[in-house]
Parts: sequence; C-alpha cells; structure tokens
Amino acid sequence: MTRERFIDLVRTEQEPLRRFLLGLCSGNQSLADDLAQDALVRAYVASGSFLGLSKFSTWLFRIAYNCFIDHCRKASYDTVSDESLEAQGVLSDDSTDESFRYQQLYMALDRIPEKERAAIVLHYFEDRDIKEIASIMQIPSGTVKYLLSVGRNHLKEHLSV
Amino acid sequence: MNKKDNIEEFLRDNRPVVKDDPTFLLETNRRLKSVEGIKAEVDRQRVQGHMALIVTLVIGIVIGAFAVLIGYMHPFDLNQMKEGSLYNALVFIETWKQYLIIPVALLSVTLSLVLSLRRNKAF
Repeated sequence: MTRERFIDLVRTEQEPLRRFLLGLCSGNQSLADDLAQDALVRAYVASGSFLGLSKFSTWLFRIAYNCFIDHCRKASYDTVSDESLEAQGVLSDDSTDESFRYQQLYMALDRIPEKERAAIVLHYFEDRDIKEIASIMQIPSGTVKYLLSVGRNHLKEHLSV
Repeated sequence: MNKKDNIEEFLRDNRPVVKDDPTFLLETNRRLKSVEGIKAEVDRQRVQGHMALIVTLVIGIVIGAFAVLIGYMHPFDLNQMKEGSLYNALVFIETWKQYLIIPVALLSVTLSLVLSLRRNKAF
C-alpha cells in the first residue's frame, strides 16, 4: 500500500480513532494523539499484512488498542491518580456544566480497568457492535458482553447518574 | 427508566469531542515518510530471507545428488572388512544409498526453515 493511499484511508478514520483513544486515555488529548500517531505508523509498516478480511477501521482500531495496552504496560497507566490527570491538563478549572460532565466521565473512566474502558468506549462512543468489539480486542463475544455489564456497574459506582 | 438506561444515555450523550487538529494528518504524513526507509529495509530483508531459503534448498539437493553419484562411482569393497560397527554402517549406506538424497534434502529444508524463521523473528 502506498503512503498516499494509506493517508486517504486514514483521512476518514482519524476522527473516530482519536476519539477512541481519547476515551481510553480518559480525556488526555495529547497522549491520545501520540498513541494515534504510533498506531498509524505501526499500521503503515504492517499494511502489507492487511488482507482485507476485516474492515480497515476494525484493523486500525485493533492496532490502536494494542498500542494503548503496550503503553499501559510500560507506564502502569492504571495507577494514574486524579492528581496526575490534573497535571496532564485533563481536569481544568472550567466550571461550565458540559466541562464538569466530561471531567466526571473521564475521572470515572480512569478508575475502571482498561479492558472494561475499551469495551465501553467502543460500544457507547463509537457505536461498534459486540462482534466488532470482540474482533478489535481479540476476545470472545461473551467476554465483551461481560465487560460491558461489569464496566457499566463500575461506572455507575463512580458517577452519580 | 432504569439505571442501565440512565448510564447508557449518559455515555451516549457525553461521547468525547475531538478537537479539530489540521496538523494531525500533516504530522502523520511526516512520520510515515521517515518510516518508509525502514519499511523498504524490512521488505529487502524479507526478499533476502526467501532467497536464502531457495539457495539453501538447491544446495541441499545438489549436495545430496552429488553424494549419491559419488556412492555409485566409487563402490566400497566390503569384503576388505567384515566386522565392527563401521562395517555395519557401510553395509547400511551401500544398501540404501539410492535413498540418501531424501534425508539430505530433508535436513537442508529443515535447516533453511529454521534459519528463515529465526531471521523473521528478528523483525
């Protein structure tokens, strides 16, 4: 695949990809964009192995998810505290209702395990069905349903919905 | 409306909004350009690996065929030595020499596969 062709394919996928990673990174835009860039480079290097058996976006999201998992392993991202979210600029002094809701959501997302977070983000933010999520996360469909159910319960505990 | 609907509604209503960043694709393009050299090198190594596989296979077959030919051209006089494990080994080779090419070829194929796999693992 040529670079121009790859960029053309990425042009339509970049926004969902960045939003997916933004949710996974609990609102840390700069980290999400860094991971998105890494994922795109990895995808380009491996583009010869893309056989078209799944959708391009599913394949790209799988690579992005793996990038995020690698990042978590390296940085022990799960243990990130509220203070570090603040330091990353995710939490702000902006007191509008919308901003408060996002802060609340990101803090809640940050407190749940990464696999639950990924399932929730893919299903509710990206409107992906169970089968596609299973393909992206490389886990059985039953596990995705379980992660969604447990993730919802965990989020409810952290959100006053 | 139950609690499940509440949380689902909340999540769907608050999906993150990505800030529009026109430099994102430019940065992607820049990174991909710098990666192209690496990609070319990986492709070159892959082709080299395949070539090494074919060359090893051909060399194995040629050596095997040569060994069989030598065996036929220079038959060993077994009457000179009639005992010991060497004698038994020579009788075995003399009896089965027409099939000698098979283990030699198999060995070369196995070796080439092992070596090429080790080579691919490096990337």
